[in-house]
Amino acid sequence: MPPTPPNRALSSKEATLFREVLNLYETRQLKKGLKTADLILKKCPQHGETLCMKGLILTHLGKREEGVELVKQGIRLDLTSHICWHVFGLIQKGEKKYDEALKSYTQALKYDKENLNILRDAAHLQTQLRMFDGLVETRHTLLRLRPTLRQNWIGLAVAYHLNGNLPEACNVLELYQKTLKNVPDYDVEHSEVLLYHVHLQEKMGNYNEALTMLDICARSRAIIDRIAIMEFRARLMSKLYMPDAEHSWQALIEQNPECHQYYKGFLQNRGIDLDAMTEETRGLALQSLLDFSQQLNRATAPRRLALNLAQGDQFRNLADAYLRAGLEKGIPSLFADVKALYKDVQKQQVIEDLVETLRESLLPLQPSDSSNIEPTTYLWTLYFLAQHHSYLSRHKRALELLRTAMDHTPTLPELYIFQARVLKRCGDPIGAARSLDEARVLDLQDRFLNTKCAKYRMRAGHVDEAADILGLFTKANAVSPGADLEDMQSLLYLTEEAAAHLRKGNLGMALKKYTAIQKVFDEWDDDQFDFHGYSLRKFTINVYLDLITWEDHLRSHPDYISSAIAASQIYVRLHDDPSLATRGSSTTNMTDAEKKAKKKAKKAEKKSQEESKKVTATASASPNEDKGLELGPAKDDDPDGMKLLQVQDLLERAAKWLAPLGTLAKGNLNAWIVIYDVAVRRKKYLRAVKALNSAHALDADHPELHVRKAHFKLALSSAQEQPAELVGPVVTAALTNLLPDELSLELFNSQYLQRHSTDARAILASAKVSRLLNAPKDEVESAVFAALNPDVQLDIKASTAQNVLVFLNDIGSSRADEFRQACDGKFALSTVFKLPSETAGLRWSALPPDEPMSAGEADKAEVMS
Amino acid sequence: MNIRPARVDDLTGMQACNLQNLPENYTMKYYMYHLLTWPQLSYVAEDNKGRIVGYILAKMEEDVDDSEEQHGHVTSISVLRSYRRLGLAKKLMVQSQEAMATAYRAAYVSLHVRKSNRAALGLYRDTLGFTVKDIEKKYYADGEDAYAMRLSLKHLTR
Repeated sequence: MPPTPPNRALSSKEATLFREVLNLYETRQLKKGLKTADLILKKCPQHGETLCMKGLILTHLGKREEGVELVKQGIRLDLTSHICWHVFGLIQKGEKKYDEALKSYTQALKYDKENLNILRDAAHLQTQLRMFDGLVETRHTLLRLRPTLRQNWIGLAVAYHLNGNLPEACNVLELYQKTLKNVPDYDVEHSEVLLYHVHLQEKMGNYNEALTMLDICARSRAIIDRIAIMEFRARLMSKLYMPDAEHSWQALIEQNPECHQYYKGFLQNRGIDLDAMTEETRGLALQSLLDFSQQLNRATAPRRLALNLAQGDQFRNLADAYLRAGLEKGIPSLFADVKALYKDVQKQQVIEDLVETLRESLLPLQPSDSSNIEPTTYLWTLYFLAQHHSYLSRHKRALELLRTAMDHTPTLPELYIFQARVLKRCGDPIGAARSLDEARVLDLQDRFLNTKCAKYRMRAGHVDEAADILGLFTKANAVSPGADLEDMQSLLYLTEEAAAHLRKGNLGMALKKYTAIQKVFDEWDDDQFDFHGYSLRKFTINVYLDLITWEDHLRSHPDYISSAIAASQIYVRLHDDPSLATRGSSTTNMTDAEKKAKKKAKKAEKKSQEESKKVTATASASPNEDKGLELGPAKDDDPDGMKLLQVQDLLERAAKWLAPLGTLAKGNLNAWIVIYDVAVRRKKYLRAVKALNSAHALDADHPELHVRKAHFKLALSSAQEQPAELVGPVVTAALTNLLPDELSLELFNSQYLQRHSTDARAILASAKVSRLLNAPKDEVESAVFAALNPDVQLDIKASTAQNVLVFLNDIGSSRADEFRQACDGKFALSTVFKLPSETAGLRWSALPPDEPMSAGEADKAEVMS
Repeated sequence: MNIRPARVDDLTGMQACNLQNLPENYTMKYYMYHLLTWPQLSYVAEDNKGRIVGYILAKMEEDVDDSEEQHGHVTSISVLRSYRRLGLAKKLMVQSQEAMATAYRAAYVSLHVRKSNRAALGLYRDTLGFTVKDIEKKYYADGEDAYAMRLSLKHLTR
């Protein structure tokens, strides 16, 4: 130990007090600790370590600002104290600044190399930051210092594993097992370690060693997870081409006859790949599945898998039995289940024929010989056919079938749910919301119906009324239904509400909800932290390693990708048109519902403020209360998202959203398009052209990409005066790849349109490029109107028609309303092209429009009773 | 529907399914805690696109004193309304119980159900064979009572 520096030395009385402070902190007697620290500081006001401890305690007591200030002051006074740096690291870790925290821990370790607490914390931070070289080193030190602690061995093995050194991980486990004496019988933790060892061997390709080890450990009951043993054994035996492997798969199938993977494994073992059938293997596979259907007469999996393989008459017979059984049992998911077979048009036709024939045989007025069949079979047959026809875009037929079914049985919610879906597909979100509300009131105790109803209300633009409905199931003491759902990390709610605000042009609220989604993913990212220590103590290593992998791909979640794209598009719009940021704030063009919503938001805000006051009041009542080191929930000082619209770093925020997409959403063209949009505006031309290249590789003729190619060429030519390093030769060369230099943009554009003259999206894209090239407005308009030609595919489902209208409005076209009316006529069942005055009177709830609130309250009473 | 042991990458699907179906919800960390402590006990049902349509989230009871037997506990089980009548809840439950009995030698499995939830009560009692052991007053946050139910697993322990 180096001599204590003079500025740290305390007289013996104060030194005792300081040890007391440390103890009081460890046992979280915060108030006493604070008093004791003050005693020291009275005598030695410049004592760095005491200042840091006092700051740490204050932070625990909720006085973060004051506390952090003291900690910083303390470090400056004693830069070589491991206590000071450790304290600072703890504070930073609490604020989730993992990289800064690790730097502090590294400093701390300089002055106290063998401090176990600091080493352990540092290991967790290194794992969180994926700094695996350093992690191996830290785990080595920990094991050297405490070789008797079992988790230190496992910790080192896991560190090697994460760092990609599997053989060394294996070695550590072998050495570890030699140190063990008297493992208690039936020890779950030891069993998990052994399973990890087997898994490691398998990963390294040592199948023989893995299997031998598994068998020995299973027989001695050292590994006790029976399902895992069976799965490992079947997989390993197959990999070793052992003839007995089939029995292992058979045993798994008997254990869980609904697991598709087991059938796959069984067949693969016979040399049959379900995903790559040949004529020869098809027959063999089918026979096996039929055998299983016989053996396991309650299992649906083999019957369903057989439908994938069977053809011709055999398919007809098997499908007939499968469909009849499902319809007689009244299985609502039957259509969703067989829909995947429709890839094969013949199978689709066979299914239609079978079910239509069944429907005819069941017609209630016909004296039928199948009188022993339940009348509900007829109902479910109608329901199935409605889904079938709507799937094939025969929406009218679907609605007729549903009407017949509702006349037959008016109380089946499924019928109304599906009617809502058909109406949605037809472009009638208002009728869809009403239909789902009708479903909901048929079973008020069902949250599934409630959630779906709220979703449809949001789709119809009734955001506030959706919240009323959601509130029937959210916590009564929550600030608002939305606040509860946000706390519970409901992506469904957040994405739907964000999209609803976006459709209404309320960019502030949309961004607010998207930001909440970003926060959910940040939380899920942070959630792993505690498991870096926890899983080693529990020895559940296999699943822990899965957690690490999952976290690394967390933001490939579809909701993250779509939110990142939508939020970034908003930022781009705000960048291009800063006036959007202030336009949203005026209340003059708000509808009544929006005004009501605003009032409600204010009320909710007040409520939350009152509640936080209450919390502070109780805190001062018990001054010892430990608030921990993590940041509490931030106060919502931006209830309508206006501040989010006015941030200065719009494009940087978008870039942050998009950063994970380059690796996690490589196959998503829309992601590359928006990555381009942001990069080109930030003058990151290399990144921009790379994004275009990636999009080009996915779909060279995609309409959105077409627009960007032209946009990029224009952006570069106007950037000629820019410093050369921004537009290097690499960029120019890459552009030539996408868009030949000798071709004028006008010609490039007209050639594109010629190639895709019946695709409405291409017509729109070409018009957008004309606009970029400053073509006269009337020329652009008439080009766009080609989208209405009878041979052009124009649809509502993918919003193509709506996007054309948006474009006409954006360019201030005088013919926008003409287009709107034409669409309103073309899509007879839709309401999306009607004027607000026309849709105002349409019913969107199950109850008359004058009393939706009282109805909501009646629901609540019934749910609670 | 495909029924298999739950994996870490199922957790978001399980959480979404729970939020859609049931009034008792949890943040993601609670799901992680279950799977990373008892990786054998939770199961999922997925459709042919890999979407989670049903799940059972289960654990072993931790605070068991010496006089008590080891037992499992179902924290949450649900199936999307559109995937009912396939017997998924029962199939999920059976797989989880088997794992409780074999990996942890659980003597029985327990669960709570809202007194007003007649449909769930019917499922647990009539289809799955649970019996009401006790009534826990004001078990739920909104003040509702819960039935504490149990099912012996002695027949599965070997």
